[in-house]
Amino acid sequence: MIRQLAGAMALAVATLVAAIAPAQAQDQKGTLVFAVESLGAQTLDPILEGRPGNAVYQAIMYDSLVGFDLKKGGVGPGVAERWELAPDGLSWTFFLRPGQTFHNGDKLTAHDVKFSLERQMGPGSLASAAASMKRAIKSIEVVDDLTVKVNTSSPQIGLPPSLSRAVAPEGAIMPKNYIEKVGEEEFRKKPIGSGPWKFVRNVPGDRIEFTAVANHWRGTPSFKDLHVLLVPEESTRVAMVRTGEAAIASIGPETMMGAARAGLEVVSVPGTMQAIFQFWGTWKPEQKDSPIAKPRVREALSLAIDRKQVIEHVMNGKARMPYPFSTFGYTEYFSNDRWEKWANEAYRYDPALAKKMLAEEGYPNGFELKFANTALPGTQFMVDIGTAIADMWNKIGVKVTLKHYEWGAFNPMERGDQAGLVGWASMYRTAGRPDVPWRYDGAFSPESIQRLLGDKDNCNEVCQDYVKTARALGSELDKAKRTALIDRMVEIVANTWMVVPIIEGMGYYAVNTKKVGQFEPIPGRHELGDVFERIPRPEQKPWKK
Amino acid sequence: MKRFIARRLMQGVVLLFMVATIVFFLGRLTGNPVDLMLPEDATAEDRAQLTQTLGLDGPLSEQFLIFIGKALHGDLGTSIRMKQPAAEAFFDRLPNTLLLIPWALLLGMMLGIPLGVVAALNRGGWLDRAAGTVAVLGVAMPSFWLGVLLIFVFSVELGWLPSSRMGGPQHYILPVITLGTFLVAGFMRITRSAMLEVMESEFVKLARIKGLSETTVIWKHCLRNALIPVLTLWGVFVGNLITGAIVTETVFAWPGIGRLTYEAVIYRDFPLLQAVIILKSILILSINLGVDILYAYVDPRIRLA
Repeated sequence: MIRQLAGAMALAVATLVAAIAPAQAQDQKGTLVFAVESLGAQTLDPILEGRPGNAVYQAIMYDSLVGFDLKKGGVGPGVAERWELAPDGLSWTFFLRPGQTFHNGDKLTAHDVKFSLERQMGPGSLASAAASMKRAIKSIEVVDDLTVKVNTSSPQIGLPPSLSRAVAPEGAIMPKNYIEKVGEEEFRKKPIGSGPWKFVRNVPGDRIEFTAVANHWRGTPSFKDLHVLLVPEESTRVAMVRTGEAAIASIGPETMMGAARAGLEVVSVPGTMQAIFQFWGTWKPEQKDSPIAKPRVREALSLAIDRKQVIEHVMNGKARMPYPFSTFGYTEYFSNDRWEKWANEAYRYDPALAKKMLAEEGYPNGFELKFANTALPGTQFMVDIGTAIADMWNKIGVKVTLKHYEWGAFNPMERGDQAGLVGWASMYRTAGRPDVPWRYDGAFSPESIQRLLGDKDNCNEVCQDYVKTARALGSELDKAKRTALIDRMVEIVANTWMVVPIIEGMGYYAVNTKKVGQFEPIPGRHELGDVFERIPRPEQKPWKK
Repeated sequence: MKRFIARRLMQGVVLLFMVATIVFFLGRLTGNPVDLMLPEDATAEDRAQLTQTLGLDGPLSEQFLIFIGKALHGDLGTSIRMKQPAAEAFFDRLPNTLLLIPWALLLGMMLGIPLGVVAALNRGGWLDRAAGTVAVLGVAMPSFWLGVLLIFVFSVELGWLPSSRMGGPQHYILPVITLGTFLVAGFMRITRSAMLEVMESEFVKLARIKGLSETTVIWKHCLRNALIPVLTLWGVFVGNLITGAIVTETVFAWPGIGRLTYEAVIYRDFPLLQAVIILKSILILSINLGVDILYAYVDPRIRLA
């Protein structure tokens, strides 16, 4: 009797499993083809890849310790469901989501987290923040299988965001047992992750293929396979979407209108970057008589910019008025509403007032301004913005000498004594990231490479105020006080008009609506690597026309 | 002949050393790969660490000596971006380019040589002028523009052919036309001028006096002799194809050595760039040497010394 009952139960379970399995297989159909301009290093080993590549194709197969807030953008749960800062601020404890597994079936545990972070900081790692992580992280302890504690050498409030792909790739979790068993070389050939897509093959210079994993916490993919194709030429990518050879392709703003006219859907990702202009070395003693050493002159130059026209004509309407420097709608510990109102007023177009201010500062006939126009990789449209604002400055009497630099030539100039840039204005960019202090530190700290407010020997009152605020922020654990300090930091910088946002840019994609259904990208996350599992087939969610 | 080959090989070695030196130093003028690998807000500390990890922290002269020393032992370095031996990356992609080149050459010869003959036979006539127009267009039309135009017409508008990428025979048509158009013009112009020269030769007059048919005179006697300079240029054209494939392979997302060169430049992948250019140079030198030897066999009047 018992044997019969057990047999019946086994049969019922088998029938149920059989019924569920085909349903899942049926639910994942077809191939999602994505054409992208760059596959970076085209390596699936997270320690060998910088940011863009990671977010395009490594995000597909790896989960990050800290994840995203999918709606608002910025930081949200990832491999860790939640995290806590110790009362003394000297450690973070991450509590992992239970039941996670790697693609080979191994359980994802705190040991993998410890191994992954240590690997990112270890020898041979090309991780962009390896040195910073080594400085910040003292040790990593496995408390239990689902709890890991990261001890830091000083309070590191910004540690969780830096372990989210919303900011950086260093939080990617790799399989400890597998790598130790097969070795690094084999892991690079047959990588294993824990993401919603499993690695299939990597054809250098051509493509990377993945297949869907069922029932993943990030979402179960609607497509069975995913092919990420390397197509460097933009017009070819658009042609591929038009012919249906690809479903989605990354494009620039200059292609947007043409793509829309051709019947493609254009998806824009809000808050991916700010195009800015900034002034170099104005604090240097030899620059004290330079017009751009005066904050009101710099403010006048901002008032002379018709940002709405730039948004309309250069960015084809797919950009927005910016928040203050390096802040976005999803910025953490930041009074977003207050600053949005401030920015709308401060970044208005008022050429008459700009001229008046220049006259009041002693430049009724304008002055000569050297302006280095450049574009960082992936945002070539910055050159057009630079050309447009130079023209607007000319209109208020500023005689702009415009010089175009390829990024490779520009970037080295900002290091060392900045001889080629001191006394110049230039175009620059800031990427969309939820944490303010990191970016501000890189631009304004007297020890930083850019040191836009002053260096150790020439740190004026404003510069010292900034340093004081930054120091206070470094050890402030209280959320409200932290917000007040970040607001203060933003205020100090905004009032200097040293780094001035022009527009808040977006990421752009051409979509064939017959190939994929409607989807929402993650605000601030330019690359789509973290949303492929949430892209439906067209019959599941047709695009609203 | 042996002395000739030995001398050419020696010249090739010197040339390769010059190419390696120029590429090494010019490549570094384009900037630093660290700039592309780090975000704009990277700290000085992160920058210093990555520079050291990539072996770019030593003096340039020291880096050059290391590079030459390793190259002499056949090690052209490891790609900064791909973490793969640079020579291996080159030979992985070379077959993809070699799949395009013969077809482009064939297209160039199949159209260019008959067009050149027709133009020479109708010197000053409308056929000559039409062929001249084809030549000018073929040379003047940027392959980038032609490629995009072909994609737009044959893939997007007519839907006859795939827009890009490697695949079945239909994937070859547009890249081969793009790559071969320049050659059509080249072969046409060389054949035309060679034909005009040969047609004035004494032996051609003699052939006519002997009463040979015009078809035999033109296609057997004239063209055969006119093809000798065409053969010389064949080596140059193959070289052009190897270097010119950069644009075509980029437009058509074709993963060959042209695209590899483009990627090496874009990512400032110095070891890869050096390896690609050195290996391409070896390839072109070998082809030219082969053509020279062949030339000597085809035309015994030519003295190798």
